[in-house]
Amino acid sequence: MTANLVLIIVVGVLVGSGVTLVLERSLTRILVGFVLIGNGLNVLFLVVSGPAGAAPILGLSGDPMADPLPQVMALTAIVITLGTTAFGLALAYRAWQLTGTDDVQDDLEDDLIRRRAARDEVSATFDEADSELPDEGYAGDSTLAPEDEVPA
Amino acid sequence: MVFLVTLHFLVAATSPVLVRMLDRRAFLVLALVPAASFVWLLGPVSRATEGRPTYEHRAWIPQIGLDLDFGVNALSGIVALLVTGVGALVLVYCAWYFRPHDTEIWRFSGVLTGFAGAMLGLVLADNVYVLYVFWELTTVLSFLLIGHNPERRANRRAALNALIVTTFGGLAMLVGLVGLHALSGTARLSEILADPPEPGAAVTASIALVLVGALAKSALLPFHFWLPGAMAAPTPVSAYLHAAAMVKAGVYLVALLAPAFADTPGWRPVLIGLGIATMLLGGLRALRQYDVKLLLAYGTVSQLGFLVAMVGAGTRSAAFAGLALVCAHGLFKSALFLVVGVIDRSVGTRDLRELSGLRQARPFLFVTTVVAAASMAGLPVLFGFTAKEAALAAFVDLGEDLGHPGWGLFALVGIVVGSVLTVAYSARFVWGTFADKPGVEPCTPRDFSPWFAAVPAVLAALGLVAGFAGPFLTPRFATYSDQFPAGSHEALLTLWHGFTPALWLSVVAVAAGIALFVWRRPVAAAQHAIVDRFPFPDAERAYQAVMRGVDRLAVEVTGTTQRGSLPVYLGIIMVALVVVPGLALVRAWERPEVRLSDNPLQIVVGVVMVAAAVLTVRSRRRLRAVLLLGVTGYGTSILFVAHGAPDLALTQVLVETFLLVTFVLVLRRLPPFFSDRPFNIARWWRVGVGTAVGLSVAGFAFVATNARTATPISAGWAEPAYEYGGGKNIVNVALVDIRAWDTIGELSVLVVAATGIASLIFLLTDRAGRQVRPRRVLTPDSNAWLAANLHDQRRSIVFEIVTRLVFHTVIVFSVYLMISGHNSPGGGFAGGLIAGLALMIRYLAGGREELDNAAPVDAGFVLGLGLAVAALSGLLPTLLGGGVLQSAIIDIPIPVLGELHLVTSVFFDVGVYLVVVGLALDVLRSLGSGIDAHMEDEDGGAPDPTKDKVPV
Amino acid sequence: MSDSLLDQLVLAPVILPLLGAGLCLAFGRFAEAQRVISILTLLAVVASACVLLVRSDQHGPQAFNVGGWPAEIGISLVADRLSSLLLLISTIVTLCVLLYSIGQGIVEFGRDTPLSVFYPTFLVLSAGVSNAFLSADLFNLFVGFEILLASSYVLITLGGTEARVRSGTIYIIVSLASSALFLIAIACVYAATGTVNFAQLALRMQDLPGSTATMLQLLLLLTFAVKAAVFPLSAWLPDSYPTAPAPVTAVFAGLLTKVGVYAMLRTQTLLFPTHELRTLLLWASVLTMVVGIMGAVAQSDIKRVLSFTLVSHIGFMLFGIAIASELGVAGAIFYIIHHITVQTTLFLVAGLVEYRSGTTNLDRLGGLARHAPVLSVMFFVPAMNLAGIPPFSGFLGKLALLEAGVDAGGWLALLGVAAAVATSLLTLYAVAKIWNRAFWQPLADPEDDTPVPFDPAVLGGSLHGRSGVSTATQRETTWKTDTEGERLPVRMALPTIALGLVTVALTVFAGPLFAMTERAAEELHERTPYIEAVLGDG
Repeated sequence: MTANLVLIIVVGVLVGSGVTLVLERSLTRILVGFVLIGNGLNVLFLVVSGPAGAAPILGLSGDPMADPLPQVMALTAIVITLGTTAFGLALAYRAWQLTGTDDVQDDLEDDLIRRRAARDEVSATFDEADSELPDEGYAGDSTLAPEDEVPA
Repeated sequence: MVFLVTLHFLVAATSPVLVRMLDRRAFLVLALVPAASFVWLLGPVSRATEGRPTYEHRAWIPQIGLDLDFGVNALSGIVALLVTGVGALVLVYCAWYFRPHDTEIWRFSGVLTGFAGAMLGLVLADNVYVLYVFWELTTVLSFLLIGHNPERRANRRAALNALIVTTFGGLAMLVGLVGLHALSGTARLSEILADPPEPGAAVTASIALVLVGALAKSALLPFHFWLPGAMAAPTPVSAYLHAAAMVKAGVYLVALLAPAFADTPGWRPVLIGLGIATMLLGGLRALRQYDVKLLLAYGTVSQLGFLVAMVGAGTRSAAFAGLALVCAHGLFKSALFLVVGVIDRSVGTRDLRELSGLRQARPFLFVTTVVAAASMAGLPVLFGFTAKEAALAAFVDLGEDLGHPGWGLFALVGIVVGSVLTVAYSARFVWGTFADKPGVEPCTPRDFSPWFAAVPAVLAALGLVAGFAGPFLTPRFATYSDQFPAGSHEALLTLWHGFTPALWLSVVAVAAGIALFVWRRPVAAAQHAIVDRFPFPDAERAYQAVMRGVDRLAVEVTGTTQRGSLPVYLGIIMVALVVVPGLALVRAWERPEVRLSDNPLQIVVGVVMVAAAVLTVRSRRRLRAVLLLGVTGYGTSILFVAHGAPDLALTQVLVETFLLVTFVLVLRRLPPFFSDRPFNIARWWRVGVGTAVGLSVAGFAFVATNARTATPISAGWAEPAYEYGGGKNIVNVALVDIRAWDTIGELSVLVVAATGIASLIFLLTDRAGRQVRPRRVLTPDSNAWLAANLHDQRRSIVFEIVTRLVFHTVIVFSVYLMISGHNSPGGGFAGGLIAGLALMIRYLAGGREELDNAAPVDAGFVLGLGLAVAALSGLLPTLLGGGVLQSAIIDIPIPVLGELHLVTSVFFDVGVYLVVVGLALDVLRSLGSGIDAHMEDEDGGAPDPTKDKVPV
Repeated sequence: MSDSLLDQLVLAPVILPLLGAGLCLAFGRFAEAQRVISILTLLAVVASACVLLVRSDQHGPQAFNVGGWPAEIGISLVADRLSSLLLLISTIVTLCVLLYSIGQGIVEFGRDTPLSVFYPTFLVLSAGVSNAFLSADLFNLFVGFEILLASSYVLITLGGTEARVRSGTIYIIVSLASSALFLIAIACVYAATGTVNFAQLALRMQDLPGSTATMLQLLLLLTFAVKAAVFPLSAWLPDSYPTAPAPVTAVFAGLLTKVGVYAMLRTQTLLFPTHELRTLLLWASVLTMVVGIMGAVAQSDIKRVLSFTLVSHIGFMLFGIAIASELGVAGAIFYIIHHITVQTTLFLVAGLVEYRSGTTNLDRLGGLARHAPVLSVMFFVPAMNLAGIPPFSGFLGKLALLEAGVDAGGWLALLGVAAAVATSLLTLYAVAKIWNRAFWQPLADPEDDTPVPFDPAVLGGSLHGRSGVSTATQRETTWKTDTEGERLPVRMALPTIALGLVTVALTVFAGPLFAMTERAAEELHERTPYIEAVLGDG
């Protein structure tokens, strides 16, 4: 099966530019990137469905039809992208509402640990050795219950 | 034998209840379990010591060789008796050791009883993995016991050290055992020992790993340091785990393997060398202790070294002596620990600088101590004496037996020096505990019930009895040692076998030991001087350094791998995509067979889309980026048309429009420009990754497409789509019938996404009520076409009129599209989306009240209804006897119009329609009305028209 | 029950929750109705999973072609031993978590709270997981992933607090990326073979040139590796999971990554039995184990420690897949089952700790062993299980994997064995640190540690969250002054204990269970039963 050069170029450019956007920090920009990738992948499904043809509707024309299966998959993908993107937009709005920007923030806990690494420290939970000696701890307590005494 | 072990755990589980009922006397009940086991074992053990071992086998997980194999042989039987016997006595002792109403003993009693069970299982196990199971159980339980009083930081650390060190050894041992299992083809110890695998590098490695475990457990150099720390545990625990039972596990394992593997390269040097080194180090340390409990702890370290050296020597007489020593040590050491416990509880200190005058106050206890200590020092008529005589005798002949005089001499000197130290610290213990010390006022111990002191007395007495029982014990111990080749003398336990070299050596040892004790001050000074002059590497510090290193490494590794930055994570994924399958791509690449395009339209649109995509990347204005994105979207739909996919094209156009408006609805709130970041290297990096990914995806497409040989499965769809699916539009039939399962899935995605949007926007706001219950509102001014409350500058009468005129028509059209979709382009998605757009127009024209008027329903309800309808229309055929999602074709004759060709899958499409409408409604309510409301909150009343202007 | 109906049982685990979700939404305003619907649905799913397990074990893989279309046209779902096992255990876990969250919801907000978001989303999540386990169609597998991902997006951002939005964003964006990868892989697979049906793929892959097949295999593996959090694609997980509400984190940790592992296992054994890529997979597993556990050692928050151990132990399963011997695969399956239950239990316990003490930060915890003995037992047993202490299931799975590694031989496999052993030691170290800090160490005097702001929307989506805030903050203060803390909320504790008992049961019934996993491994190696079940004989 030969490959459709134009379509593949379109796929490559759309996906490539989409990825470039996705690596940004602004959430809306990332979402734009993913929609771009999504469009690219829709075209990719055209690529893999082989040569163009008549619409896969019976009795429309006698020409050979285009492969319907990739169309179905693409359609499903389109709709799913719609749903997730809409949710992503709501998330971006929420982020903006909370922080005044839709930029994706770095993780705080990781930052703490990176600082420790930079300062050559041990983890916060490391138990440094000290001079205290282990002891079962009953030593020295002089509380004695009466029944411990021998009945005279 | 399984039931003995299980019994322990069952009773342990009930112990909290017992403690609640009987308080500390519950220990007496618990003691019955090991006692019963002891009695039960007497029979099998006596048979085993006469050479008739008993084994039992229960399958558990045969696939991995983990079966419940248990057995009593000469060695395990004797050790089992020791373990259960001492265990029972220690539990009895606990009934007086703990204070009444101690709040912690409900846990302690259970753990200790469980430990007794684990220990018994360990010695009775006849399967390498069962052995390991109980081995680790004893480790964990001792962790809990050492941490019995976790208030002190040092105790917690001691517990953790013991856990980590012994588990480290344990895991090494596990790998070794797996190796042995693999090499010998069986996991049963008795079979492995019966015919051991051919010696070789693999065997040596496995045995070495196993020995690491044994040494760690028995606290030999360099692992010895965890044992003194373990003295944080209550004294009964020290007496049981850290003298009689757990620390003997390593010795036991060595003794068990010695008959088969003593000739493995490195076995004797390691065991005898480390054993003697440990014996000397422990003895020296013991001489420097003031806490009598620590003194005993280091004494135990020393003795363990002695034992390992004996059982590891691998000659008949040495093995015999080793087994005898194990028993002797178990008796006298536990007795001494229990004595310390009594003193501690009655005087309140264990510091020998404060203890004084106890000999008069506690004569009985004194006698007990003297007997036990004498046994430790190896003085005549005691078990310790006969055993040590045998040991010395064995090592006198060691060189001869091994044909290696040098070794023998070294070992002999080593244990003699060790015995000297043993005598010395035994004396130090007795003196330190009971002697009257000048300048220290005599302690006044509290009275205790006599039973408290009776338990150690019993143990000491046993040591005395065993001393005279040599003739009885000798043949029984010999059953084990007879597995070794005969040596140059036949070992035996006796109080007198003439003026043998062994006897003279004992005399030397005792005399020198006494001397060491008498001149303890100069000795101590000398020790200090030496130790301070040449600081020996301290194993504990080394361990701490290792753990610290591990922790530091962990911090560094995590700091470098866990950047916490999303772009980095995505970048890694994308680079992985380029690199990993990319390499395969390079390998699979050959000159691709390409055609330029199927029709010129593709070229034209393609160019436009490429341009739009590049511009999208470059644009820093949000709206501009989104509009350019729209260009690519519409371009895609044209490509669909050009390819012969009308349904796709239709859906794509509608989706794109819907998405555009959604974007705009959100963007109206966000700043007009993307947060501007300086033009820097990172940007080039992004572009580079993007380009690489684009190229490799194109490459994948080329290679994959060219690789196609088989005909696609959809080739045969046309006929069944019509015959069976009852529709001319194959894509639609596929959506609602052939691959309806996918469609149901994507419906649920939409539903969930919609609910998620609502949950994010209407979060914790009273506006939720309004969202849940939309209601009609009356037009504020009657002359308005729509019930809009928008402000005049935002109202456009024309737009309102058009909206009102168009709306219902559009809705009807959408329904038509849904039904007709089965035979011509359209279907539930297209219909639903069009209806959604209609609602969108209502909202844009008239604001949120207008939206509520247009659709006075809860979006969630519509979504739920849609999903339920779709699912039910799938299940319905099942109830009609068909298959799930199987569609039936019904032709209903209608008088005038002719015939309605109805396919049940239409109901499914209705579900789709409803879900999509619900999604639209939800998006408009949330990102439209909801955001409006938020803005009104902030701007106080009227939303700022400029901000709120929505392009239509 | 007619046989045809019984055949369609394969669909129940997916269709029932979806129906339930729809009803839950439709009855959005009646919390009680939602609870009843959800519980009944999941009970039904568990029941059907049991039947499926029995049938697939006795009569071989249970295949059903949806809509009555022949397999090569329509979509077929298949429940073989592997799928049914994972299905059963995952649905049991889901049910327990649901009960737990109901208990928590009641505790947090009182009876009349409309949890209009949580229940339907949770049901859809379980539907997605089941679909992923059952699907015999590559694209439908994608849809299954999307279902569970979409619902996980909603669940992880429940309540929309700043922390959850931040971590949720990381999770969502990474998942979107993995979905894009999956689509690329599917498109390429279809381009090369002209089908997406697993059985047909299994046959057609053999005809492809080896290098092309390897390319497709790597595309799929990469996709699943992101979902399964395999190093170096794992860093997103510990950043995103811990902030979610406890039950959500629990079910994510238990199930979602395992779905990725399952997909790897399925594709490796069914589609690419001959190209094992052992070296690559072994390296990936070793690095995942070691780097993951290093992260766990460095953390100072219970949830984060657990998240890192989660990543690390994915390496164990990957190790089994890489070894690919029957024992290795059986061990991997057993370990998956063990890990699903134990990891979920531990996160639920962490939730209880958070509920009781208002935090899971080890610096602010202490004295739980004395003040909350039951809780400490509830933590200790699964923690030891996670650390692979015998005789618990974690040890059994690990043992099988070690044996498989030693049998396989070769220095890389032995390196894997060493890494596995080191990992379990460090896992023990990590959980022992938690134990020392939170349970043994006495609580530093309450004044000097500032109370963490308790998250109002523990079950987010609650529209009456404000009341949630007040009650939460009240409890915060009461806890701080009172070291006794609160009594364990029974309705949260019971499901946790139940799940803990399941983990113990895995040990008690390890014999039959392991036999089953080994039969499952055999089935995977033969391949023919699966293929014939889908395409029919010949």
